[in-house]
Amino acid sequence: MIVKKRHTLLWAFIVLLAIVGCQKPFSNRAKDISVFRFSENGAPISMDPVQGSSQYANLMNTSIFDTLYEYKYLKKPYELKPLLASAMPEVSEDGILYTIPIEKGVHFTDDPCFPDGVGRELTAEDFVYSIKRMFDPKNQPQGAWLWQGRIKGLDEWKEAGSDYEQPVEGLRAKDRYTIEVELTQPYPQLVYTFAMGYSGVVPREAVEYYGKEFGIKPVGSGPYQLVKFSTKKAVLKRNPKFREQIFDLEYEGYVPEEHDWANVKLLQGKTMPIMENVEVYFMRESMTRWNSLNKGNEIQLGTIPIELTHMVAESLKPLVLKPEYAKKFNGMNLPDFGLVYFLFNMDDPKIGYHPDPEQNHRNFLLRKAIRAGYDWNQRNRRFYNNVGDIFPGIIPRGLDAFDETLPMDSVTADYEQAKAYLKEGGWTAENLPVLDYHSGTGVIYVQFFEQFRGWMEKIGYPREKIKLNLHATFGDFSKAMKNKECMVWGMGWGLDYPDSENVLQLFYGPNKSPGSNASNYDNPEFNELFRKAKVMQPGPERTELYKKMNKMIIEDVPVLTGLTRNSPYIWHKNVVFHHSRNPHASLLKYAYVFDESELEKLEQESAGEE
Amino acid sequence: METLQYALRKLIYSIPLIFGVTMISFVLMVYFGPDITYSMLGKNATDQQIVELREQLGYNLPFIERYFMFLKELVTFDFGSSISSGEKVTSILGKHVPVSIAVALPSFILSNVFGVTLALIAAFHRGKAWDKLIMVFAVVGMSVSYLMVVIAFQVIFSTSYGFNWFPVQGWVEPPPDYPDITFFEIIYYYWYYYWAYVAVPTMASVFVSLGYNTRFFRAVIVEELNRDYVRTAKAYGVYSWKIMVKHVLKNALIPISTRIIITLPFVIIAGNLVLEKFFGIPGIGLVTYDAITNGDLPIVKAVVTCTAVLYVMALIFTDIVYKMIDPRISYNR
Repeated sequence: MIVKKRHTLLWAFIVLLAIVGCQKPFSNRAKDISVFRFSENGAPISMDPVQGSSQYANLMNTSIFDTLYEYKYLKKPYELKPLLASAMPEVSEDGILYTIPIEKGVHFTDDPCFPDGVGRELTAEDFVYSIKRMFDPKNQPQGAWLWQGRIKGLDEWKEAGSDYEQPVEGLRAKDRYTIEVELTQPYPQLVYTFAMGYSGVVPREAVEYYGKEFGIKPVGSGPYQLVKFSTKKAVLKRNPKFREQIFDLEYEGYVPEEHDWANVKLLQGKTMPIMENVEVYFMRESMTRWNSLNKGNEIQLGTIPIELTHMVAESLKPLVLKPEYAKKFNGMNLPDFGLVYFLFNMDDPKIGYHPDPEQNHRNFLLRKAIRAGYDWNQRNRRFYNNVGDIFPGIIPRGLDAFDETLPMDSVTADYEQAKAYLKEGGWTAENLPVLDYHSGTGVIYVQFFEQFRGWMEKIGYPREKIKLNLHATFGDFSKAMKNKECMVWGMGWGLDYPDSENVLQLFYGPNKSPGSNASNYDNPEFNELFRKAKVMQPGPERTELYKKMNKMIIEDVPVLTGLTRNSPYIWHKNVVFHHSRNPHASLLKYAYVFDESELEKLEQESAGEE
Repeated sequence: METLQYALRKLIYSIPLIFGVTMISFVLMVYFGPDITYSMLGKNATDQQIVELREQLGYNLPFIERYFMFLKELVTFDFGSSISSGEKVTSILGKHVPVSIAVALPSFILSNVFGVTLALIAAFHRGKAWDKLIMVFAVVGMSVSYLMVVIAFQVIFSTSYGFNWFPVQGWVEPPPDYPDITFFEIIYYYWYYYWAYVAVPTMASVFVSLGYNTRFFRAVIVEELNRDYVRTAKAYGVYSWKIMVKHVLKNALIPISTRIIITLPFVIIAGNLVLEKFFGIPGIGLVTYDAITNGDLPIVKAVVTCTAVLYVMALIFTDIVYKMIDPRISYNR
């Protein structure tokens, strides 16, 4: 009897749960649309600005911390505007002294690190402290290269032990609200560096209070504050102390023909950050990301996986979605602000510079032959949906020195020409060097290699002389590059700021490995031009020098380049968003999830106008 | 008392084993693990920065010194902070291990319960249609790639291409901050979302592991069925489900329990990388994978150590369970 009673109770409980279990918790309450659910295909490791080298970290940092400047939301080419600064900098005539006024009344968010837990006012001293941190080895900084050798006394400050109590000659708070930066020589890109997440302003109290954990417990004065962080998700909520910022369409670079489709008009007059809460999902699996996006009630922004492009889109460039998806999503084909390219190690005498002039010339012809065999168009078709931008030289579209007039022969495969170069250099199947192809690990990288090997076979390179050298992690790959152990390999570069100097420095002799010049290209003429151009303010004269350097790189063939990738981003119809790429990262504060009635009203208005 | 003495004795004997395991894994980490210096330094490292960072990371120290530092961490169970994020390793484990357990436990229980049940049915009907049907199902479960199962289950149960019953990805979050929220609503919220997020990963996991479990358990039970006492029972015409459960299963429990208990440490600490990646679950599997690929030694050391310790505990526990199943077993032999 008792057993029977127990069974009855158990079944009653199961049935109750089954009935109740079908109903979503709080489904009787008002629908919450004050969350924007963004997604990324990777996760930041730390949100400490000094370690913010990844695009994921940059996105988070520019949402949590204030930088002096930021990019206008819609303006292309990129244009800076003051953020924490109250105006653009005042620059001395010789380009050495920058005076930057900052906003008064900006406060850090409330946090236990402050006395009584109340965030204090941000001052010029905080900026000075934040830049000094980048020169303190204890912080394992990743962005010191931006200001190394540029700001007077900063390197010496580091040499003397990075003592924060000691002043830096060229980095000072003139008064509570004015920053002065004194350079060793003109550095026209300086203002761009103050828009990067690296220059986010942090309070010393928080750094000292949280120690090593500051990277996961960041305290800033930006539009959002971090509520929760894991390897899968970050939750941000509006910083209640954030100063009033009103969105102005005209000021942000609005062009009706370019931006109306994204409903950005709805942002006019809104106070930023617009959304109360933002959730950033870190989703490495493209199919999971797509399933979540397509479901309708999970993430609101993502990309179309390459496997599904033909199912979802009628065309990718421009992005036109199929009707069933166009009903649900808005989207755009977003080009990277950067490029992918293929490098030769010029310090390797088998392929690069050789002390014997004759052999040096033969190596030059070998590189030219490989270039003539490298089929960028096929790479674009097979791996980038044929929507990548192929261009000659190292300067991609969107930069002042991008040269439309350059001939395309350096990026067009011509196998007969390749064979002719090999013949001219006296290269035969017997005497060709073994090509040691270095790469990261992953299916796609092996496919890249196999495609490359196929091209080389077409120009007469023996298959067994093309070897794949895989590195288990990017750290190992990077180590091999920095130690000049790689012979040929593919790379990608995302621009740090919209200035051609950022790509040309990749070939500046003094930046050789372990610096950023991984090809170890070292041409005195190029170096001289670079030295001259890097201190020049933007203008036609500098642009000409950039173009000349670009041509020298095409001529000397230390690199095969290039291609800019494009990604098809889509987001739900009730989301206002206009995506952009690094270096423009402070995007989350502009996102807006709106009520459907607002969209109907907008559509009626547009119909009325027509 | 005898059991406690035995457990203590085993625990002491296992200390060299733990040190052996940690020694091997430490050698592998130091000599074959990634060098984190270059990925930490970003784009434009200088020679000086490389030297500084290597010094900070302790890469320049002699191996033996590094190993003794590791042993100290092991004994004090203080693995310091993650090199990448700066977070305390104990806090990382505390945050992610419970999630992995919560995900793995339902599938662990179900796959073993179903596995034993199906194995009993198959063995009972050995050579007949039921047996063949169950074995076909088991072989299918074993043969299909785990990755494919995960993707297929996600599409079928979680997306608009299928039934769309469950979330695609995510994990239980704290409930909304309504001022009038009731205790029952909070409990129900956690209950609802736990099952919502765990259902599809559990189904995928059970589908795959059921095949292995059923085949293994069936083999063990069939072997037991060949014993004299079963033959005698059959001869007397008392071969029934009662004999299967009360005698055959009981006698087959030693290999079955060994298999179940030995997998426990992996349920607790190892997490499930595939499930965590595809279902957006913040478990320890993904953290460990990232730590290995990023060269975050403190996390790797902690996970390796915990797994080794738990494994030893599981072995001891298995011996104790043997005695509980069969009291004739003596710890002294």
